[in-house]
Amino acid sequence: MNTVIQAFGLVFAWDVLIAIFASAIYGLTVGALPGLSATMATALLVPVTFYLSPIAAVATIITASAMAIFSGDIPGCLLRIPGTPASAAYTDEAYAMTRKGQAETALGICLWFSALGGIAGTLSLMILAPVLAEFALSFSTYENFWLALLGLMCATLVARSSPIKAIAAMLLGLLITCIGIDNPGGVARFTLGSTDLLGGIEPIPALVGVFALAEVMRALTEREPPKMPHRRLGSILKGQIALTKQYPKQQARGNIVGIIIGVLPGAGADMAAWVSYAMSKRFSKTPEKFGTGHPEGLIEAGASNNASLASGWVPALLFGIPGDTITAIAIGVLYMKGLNPGPTLFSEQASSMYALYIIFILANIIMIPLGIVMIRLASRVVGAPRSAVMPVIMVFCAVGAFATAGNNLFAVYCVAAFGVLGFVMEKNGFPVAALVLGIVMGTMVEQSFVTSLIKSDGSVLPFLSRPVSGVLAAMTFAALLWPVFSWSMEKLRARRAVAA
Amino acid sequence: MQLSDRITGAAIAMLGSVAFLYGSKLPPVPGQQVGPSAFPMVVGAGLAICGVLIVLGIGRHFEEVAEADVISHATPEELEPLPAWRSWLALLPPALVFFYALASETLGFLPTAAIMVLTASFAFGARPKLAVPLALIAPFFINLIFLKLLRVPLPGGLLPFPW
Repeated sequence: MNTVIQAFGLVFAWDVLIAIFASAIYGLTVGALPGLSATMATALLVPVTFYLSPIAAVATIITASAMAIFSGDIPGCLLRIPGTPASAAYTDEAYAMTRKGQAETALGICLWFSALGGIAGTLSLMILAPVLAEFALSFSTYENFWLALLGLMCATLVARSSPIKAIAAMLLGLLITCIGIDNPGGVARFTLGSTDLLGGIEPIPALVGVFALAEVMRALTEREPPKMPHRRLGSILKGQIALTKQYPKQQARGNIVGIIIGVLPGAGADMAAWVSYAMSKRFSKTPEKFGTGHPEGLIEAGASNNASLASGWVPALLFGIPGDTITAIAIGVLYMKGLNPGPTLFSEQASSMYALYIIFILANIIMIPLGIVMIRLASRVVGAPRSAVMPVIMVFCAVGAFATAGNNLFAVYCVAAFGVLGFVMEKNGFPVAALVLGIVMGTMVEQSFVTSLIKSDGSVLPFLSRPVSGVLAAMTFAALLWPVFSWSMEKLRARRAVAA
Repeated sequence: MQLSDRITGAAIAMLGSVAFLYGSKLPPVPGQQVGPSAFPMVVGAGLAICGVLIVLGIGRHFEEVAEADVISHATPEELEPLPAWRSWLALLPPALVFFYALASETLGFLPTAAIMVLTASFAFGARPKLAVPLALIAPFFINLIFLKLLRVPLPGGLLPFPW
């Protein structure tokens, strides 16, 4: 009980409360601007978190990401342009409701069920994390290696692209972490004689390049979204309680699917929304209504993407394995702030963990009033010209990386290089999320791999013979072979259809 | 910037082979079988295999499914191709960030950022009425945030921050 009181003390400090409020407004604004994703919002926050207290730093990331995922629904509802990729799955549905003159109901659903989903996700984090932590304490380097590899493989499975390209992107990320002298032998690897490369490539400039600068680049090659007409909206929350009572099953399913997808490494809010929307349609009694402005799918998917946010923190806090791209950034911040991920975090820094839960709940509660304000102001915010927003973001990329790297200009070159890399990869179907996971987890994968091999005298047998390790290995190989399996099943079915 | 799978695949295969060879030449840790060379070799080999598979077009099917999904969700205007020069314009932001790294120490943050914002704003099609005030005001605000709130001194150069 003492730690809980301590945790409240940590959260209800002035700097933390101000950080939550400011990052809430920031997250709502960035999320509502089409073309700026929640991941980008988080990546651009990192330089700021550098100078905050640990709890305030974590609070900004949690709040900003939750707000951005919700407010991405606003331009989706009103303009049929998803503000963040996580809203893309149900944009058509929400816009169809707006065309039927139910814009306030659609926005209300997005807001209300986002907040409920976020709270459900937080509860799952509170329950799952300590239980798994106990289990994880018995893990040795073999298990950690397979777990990390399984995480990386999951990231390639859910990439909505060619699995080979996803694996290549992930391996490229792992190769990037080989640069420098931070390796088992302390040898300078791939430094090409440059002193700057001796320290290796820091994840933060790479993330800013891939997620923020590459987005600015992409915006230059795309058309400006249309202006949003000013629209008078009625009461936003009217009828939401009735909808909550009417669709309890959909809501519960959305929350659970979101939580599961969040826990899976590499799969985040976008995936949760796609899967939940599809599930809602399949199990619905009235699937023909989907796409015509029917609240059912909106409720399920809107709850799902926010639920996945909190549960994404489970593998991140326990193993340092990011549940999605946002927690990939968060892990960097956790290390920076001395809250090194690992099962011991829950015993040694229990009050910080409770503080994290409280922040999640707080963020989802203030989402409702602030979200309503944002919806009312939406036509002004969404109308902000791209030619004013993007240049400022670009300067932020440069200065932010410079500041996080201890005023080192090498980080700025990294941002430029990774911007180009991310842009080219994205254009050619290589998922950048897999690259980022590789970069974030590379050092850990190598350490557990080499330490395990040294322990076993170069034998691979202990990797497979330990019970937990064997199961994890089997799961990793299953993830590797799954695309082959699904492809051949589809071929088989097509052949049967032709024969019949 | 869209390249064929043969080119990207070949580039990845090359990179993987180079990493494998480079890794194999790294000095071992005395008395240990496994050292700094193991991981780059494994990753390099994996990349080389992936590269070859990409050249052969394996896994292309999954991309087609995903692309069809995106197209079914897009409005017709979004699918109209833009002129080719627009895709080269995409290189402007990284070039400007590169310029920041080169010039900020000598020119100072305010002038460098002003040039960056002005150029990028015009590239996004802004009128001078918007771009010029933005280029004058935005760097000032960013400097204020970094200096006062985050206490990061940005390079002063020719035009130091006035207080």
